[in-house]
Amino acid sequence: MNALVSNVLTQVSITLIAVSGIYVLTGLTGMFSLGQAAFMAIGSYVSGLLVIRAHVPFVLAALLAVAGATLIGYVIGYPVVRLRRDYISLVTLGFGEAIAALLNRMTTLTGGASGLTGIPRLVGLPLAFISAVLAIALAAFFKTSKYGRQCIALKGDELAAKAMGINVTRVKMIAFLLSVALTSYSGVLYAFYMSYVDPTGFGWKKSADWVIMVFFGGVNSLTGSTLGAFILSALPQVLRGLQNYRYVIYAVLVLLILNFKPSGLLGEWELTPRNIQQAFAKLGKKNTAKKEG
Amino acid sequence: MKRIVSFVMAAGMALSLAACGGAASGSASTSTAAPAASSAAAADGGEILIGCLQDITGNTSGLGLSVQKGAQAAVDEINANGGINGKKIVMNTYDTKGDVTEAVNSYITAVTVDQVSLIVGPPVANIANAIKETSEGYDVPVVGLAMDPACQTKSEGVPYKNMFALQPSATTQGDIMAAFAIKNGYKTFGILYNQENAYSVSLLAPFVDRLAEDNITVDSSMIVAYGAADTDYKTLLLPLVNANVDAIYCPNYTQQLVAIETAATELGYKGKIITGLDGAPGFNVTYGGDCSNIYYINNINTEDETIAAKIAEIQNDVSAPNKYFLGYDIVMAAADCIGKVGTDYTALHDALENLSYEGITGKITIDPTTHMPTGMSMYMYTYDNQTPVMLEQFAG
Amino acid sequence: MSLQVIINGIATGSIYALIATGFALIFNVLKFSNFSHGATMTAAAFIAYFLVSSKGMGLLPTLLIAALAGALISLFGEFVGFRRILKNHSAPTYFFVSSITLGTLYEGLVTIKAGSNFFNFPSFFKTPTVNVAALVVSTGDLMMFGISAVALIVLAYVIQKTRLGRALRAVSFDRDTAQLMGIDSTRIIQLAFVISGILAGIAGVFLGIKYTLYPTLGSLVVKGFIASVIGGLGSLTGAVIGALLLGILETILLAALGSGYSTIAVFAVMLVFLLIRPQGIAGSNVQEKA
Repeated sequence: MNALVSNVLTQVSITLIAVSGIYVLTGLTGMFSLGQAAFMAIGSYVSGLLVIRAHVPFVLAALLAVAGATLIGYVIGYPVVRLRRDYISLVTLGFGEAIAALLNRMTTLTGGASGLTGIPRLVGLPLAFISAVLAIALAAFFKTSKYGRQCIALKGDELAAKAMGINVTRVKMIAFLLSVALTSYSGVLYAFYMSYVDPTGFGWKKSADWVIMVFFGGVNSLTGSTLGAFILSALPQVLRGLQNYRYVIYAVLVLLILNFKPSGLLGEWELTPRNIQQAFAKLGKKNTAKKEG
Repeated sequence: MKRIVSFVMAAGMALSLAACGGAASGSASTSTAAPAASSAAAADGGEILIGCLQDITGNTSGLGLSVQKGAQAAVDEINANGGINGKKIVMNTYDTKGDVTEAVNSYITAVTVDQVSLIVGPPVANIANAIKETSEGYDVPVVGLAMDPACQTKSEGVPYKNMFALQPSATTQGDIMAAFAIKNGYKTFGILYNQENAYSVSLLAPFVDRLAEDNITVDSSMIVAYGAADTDYKTLLLPLVNANVDAIYCPNYTQQLVAIETAATELGYKGKIITGLDGAPGFNVTYGGDCSNIYYINNINTEDETIAAKIAEIQNDVSAPNKYFLGYDIVMAAADCIGKVGTDYTALHDALENLSYEGITGKITIDPTTHMPTGMSMYMYTYDNQTPVMLEQFAG
Repeated sequence: MSLQVIINGIATGSIYALIATGFALIFNVLKFSNFSHGATMTAAAFIAYFLVSSKGMGLLPTLLIAALAGALISLFGEFVGFRRILKNHSAPTYFFVSSITLGTLYEGLVTIKAGSNFFNFPSFFKTPTVNVAALVVSTGDLMMFGISAVALIVLAYVIQKTRLGRALRAVSFDRDTAQLMGIDSTRIIQLAFVISGILAGIAGVFLGIKYTLYPTLGSLVVKGFIASVIGGLGSLTGAVIGALLLGILETILLAALGSGYSTIAVFAVMLVFLLIRPQGIAGSNVQEKA
């Protein structure tokens, strides 16, 4: 395969993992995080440092990084799941800035502004792609599980969900932690694919980009979110030649979707065997109807 | 039904986007002056395709565009004089957007899709850091301007085979600025640097080390760091101004320098400010006020008539003239190597390692163990109100 | 802590106050955080820079043009970004996503026109500083403080004392009922965007004077966001108080802890504050919509 296509697909796969986390958080639970990218940074730095400085094997380092990020997620999640929704974005935003500041400040450990170099390149397209598929499968599994249904319930009406006996803070926390774990794992892959990370590029703009991808494809559909992430992360690569115009095009596309198809590209439709069958059945019916007519 | 059609269409669109991403991106980003790379080879003796990997739209695009324009000027000049051994040079520009991920994407596009023979590299350390590991896997030299030695040399002291920088290292530049300050009798110093910027950080230690050689220590309370989130330069400068230091060392990008100079003036600071390369024009134009308290380092001697004439010619569309000349010299030096040995990788690599070229920015002699120039001289300047004044030449 | 640091903090805080008020005004009416506010500031300031200041005209024309540009941009944003979403009765999160996208759009347009480079407003004042006793106060800061105060007082008057202001408050309180009472809520929402745009334009120019003008200058909108949350979402008085407190707190922490750690400390203080007093300083507790 062409090196460039493989490069783009690897990066898209890594983004897909992060976005599947955002889907669980924003799509299922309705929480907005502007600091999610900071967990990607944590995943990158922790795993990278463990391998470079402590010579921990990659798989173990990856596991430890995800576990570490999830632990930090638990600490941040404590206030997050208890605050009103507007504040969640603020707290996560502040958290993201604090992490970036910390990475810059801890020069001896992280390399500071010069970034962390010398991470071995251990991740390629196969691993990234399989990981993305697994991450999406995990999100799909979560959606159909008891917790997923509870998430959807509390997203619609938190008070009613509480009245029904759903432990709202607990369910929110589980969704938040799953999202953190997925995002930090994408960070691990990113570090070991790029072989270099620096503290820039993990700011709130990146987190907001992920949220936009989810809304673009369909906030209520995992298939849609995945598709949205795929299209929007590949788009700037394709529009590369348009230099300055690419962000304008990107923004106009998203605004069109938000205005004219607010449920996103796919609405609530999911790619399940049953839905496909139904769609084909409908197609068949229409065709027979046409023939008869 | 509608959904499945829209899904299939969207999926198809996404796939085709990703697939054609490669093909479309490289040639489309060709700079305006050069024809598309894929176009038929020029009639006489073919083409030599090079890439120019710069920050065209990101935060440091002022620098990237200047390097790109200088490089393009050199390409045009060479082609006007008949090219290299009859071959025309074609230069594709790749935009890194000042983002490390984008830089790697652009790099891979350049070396695999367009298959350039050589890349004119960026003046930004983080971008060079981002591509240095990736570049090990390909056979294309990146001749850039990253002053941080770590961009060219691995931690074990061996150079990255493809990474070259054609301007004095941060160590040399910090050293020169400190030597200049000592020579002018400054005794007390404050430092304000951007801890989130690799360039700024890399200039810190050499300056402090050189001062230490003359038994001048800078108290840690006089070394102030800031980050992108900080905008209150007055509060940051306050302890330095209150201590009334002779000079404040500010190795920062022009944008921050303008804000820092403004804040220092507003605080009533009476001492000098020593900046790196970014205090050079257009700092004076952008700042707009009296810059007489600024000392800066520069690659070029503007007293030289040909250089002065050239600056007058380009000053309206180049924001950083020194970067323009550095970009120009990279292409000229690289063309010199290609003219001697051709574009075969091994030969070109060896020629670059042993490069010795008399450019506008000085005599560039590459040290094969560091892939950076040795003994390249630089110049210290100040301003008389708004006019640059060359003070002294320093050997590297 | 030296008084000079506090003065710097107030100077910063007074600009934050302009941002936060424009931000809170929209939250007040539509109950969402308008992140396009930042890019509106930048775009308005750029327009004023190119049309007025770069031609050598003074501060006042610059501010007027910026305010006008801000108002127009903001009105445009309401039309393309929010009106349909409001009509569709979409969830508040849609406004949020739409506002971020609008911000990206404006930022992209500014970049096309101006490149990613930065620009510096010409110095508007002959003497850069005024000495008050042992303190150095910059003329610019003094002017910005004065103009911000005047703008905010005028705004308070409009909202509290005029018919339009009453209508605005009615729409903020309950859009549907206000509509039934004969208030054209679309017009009133437009009015809120115009006022917010005017504040954005002025804030944009001030930010540009203080920190130079560049396409991503608008990311400072997060300061307005933080300030308006501390103040109590939707409360204008709260936003002003929150902004001044944030400005002073940031400056003091910066002076005491240095860069980096001060960012972390600001975050910690904010977190504790939210947990102790989630309704913010003003205490207007907006009920979460189901």
